[in-house]
Amino acid sequence: MTAKRQSWGIVDLGRVPYEEAWALQTRLVEARADGRLPHDVILALEHPPVFTLGKRGGRECLLVPEERLRRSGIGLVQVERGGNITYHGPGQLVIYPILHLLQLGIGVVDLVDRLEEVMIRTCAGWGVRAQRNPINRGVWVGPKKIGAIGIAVRRGVSFHGMALNVDPDLAPFSWIQPCGLQGVGVTSIAAEAAAPAGMAEVKGEVRAHIEAVFQIGLEALERRELLRLRSPSAETPCGNDVPAPAECRERVRG
Amino acid sequence: MKELSELTFPENLRYAESHEWISPGGSPVRIGISDYAQDQLGDVVYVELPEAGKTLAKGAPFGSVESVKAVSELYLPVAGKVVETNAALADSPELVNKAPYGEGWMIAIEPANPEEVDALLTSQAYREKLKG
Repeated sequence: MTAKRQSWGIVDLGRVPYEEAWALQTRLVEARADGRLPHDVILALEHPPVFTLGKRGGRECLLVPEERLRRSGIGLVQVERGGNITYHGPGQLVIYPILHLLQLGIGVVDLVDRLEEVMIRTCAGWGVRAQRNPINRGVWVGPKKIGAIGIAVRRGVSFHGMALNVDPDLAPFSWIQPCGLQGVGVTSIAAEAAAPAGMAEVKGEVRAHIEAVFQIGLEALERRELLRLRSPSAETPCGNDVPAPAECRERVRG
Repeated sequence: MKELSELTFPENLRYAESHEWISPGGSPVRIGISDYAQDQLGDVVYVELPEAGKTLAKGAPFGSVESVKAVSELYLPVAGKVVETNAALADSPELVNKAPYGEGWMIAIEPANPEEVDALLTSQAYREKLKG
C-alpha cells in the first residue's frame, strides 16, 4: 500500500439507552463539524428495547397500541434519520458512524452502500448469504431483513447508522409492519447460521470489515475520552481534548 | 455518481460551500441544491421545507431532503425571509434530481443583506472547490 491509511476512533459503548446515545451522537456531530472532535468516530453499541420512527414517521406501521408499548416499558422515539419505523433491542449490534462526509468526499448513497457491504461481509463470515434489495435498502436474507439502515447528515457529518440482528428476540419486530411490504419478515445471524453467533465475535468482524470497506484503520477509544469534549461556548479555545488516533493527529489541521 | 466534468453549474448562479445555489440579482431570490449535491444524495424521496413568512439567519437549517434512507439537512446560504416554497416538491421530490436549477428549486427568500448573495461562490470558484 502506498497511501497511509487514515485512522478513525471506535468506541464500544456496551448497552446504552436510546436517548442517551442519541444525545451523545448529537454532541459528537457538532464537535466533529466544529473540528473540536478532530477525527471520525464509530460508535458500537446495543440498545435496550425501543422502537424509533424516522423523520417521516411510520407510526401507522405500528401494529399494536402505543399503550401496550408503555406497559411493556418499551419506548417510542421519533428521530431525524431517514427510513421508517424500526426496532432496536439487546442482541442487535448498532453502529453509528460519526463521519465528516464532506471532508471524506463520501456521499450518502456511497455511505449506505458501504454499510450494507459491511453487513453482507459480516453475515458471510457465519455462512449467511445476505444481499441487497434494489427496492428496499438494508440487507436481506431472502425475504427477511437481517440488517437495517437509517442515516442523518447534519453540517456535513453523518449520524444514526446501521443495525445488524445478531441474536435479538425477534418477537418485537412482529409488532411493526415494514411499510408497504408484504410477505417480508425479519431474521438474525443466529437464526440463519449453523454456528452460534456471539455479540463480541460479530462486533470484531464488523470492525474488521469497516476497516476493509472504508479502507481506514480503527483505534479503540474509551468512552470518557469522547465525553471530555468541551462545549462550543467554553472560554478556552477549542482544544483537541480527545486524543486522536496517531495518524489522525497528523491529518488534522495538517 | 457522475464525474465532476459531467455536472453543470450555471454561470448566472452563486453557490455555497454547503452545496446550495442562489439566483442573484433582485429580490426575492430562489434557492435550491446544486447538481453535485443532488448527485451525491441519490434519488430524493422527500423534501421538507420551511413555512413562508419565516425569517432565518445565515447558515440556519431551512429544511431537509431524504434519499436512500438518509436525511440531510439544508442550510440557508444568506439571511432572509422565506416568501415562497416550491409546492411541487411535495408530490414530485424527484424534480430535485431531474432539474436542480429549474423545477427542483426549493425556496424563495428576500435576502436581509443583498451583499451576502454577491459574496457567495461563482460557478467557476465552486467548481474549483469541488476539485479540492
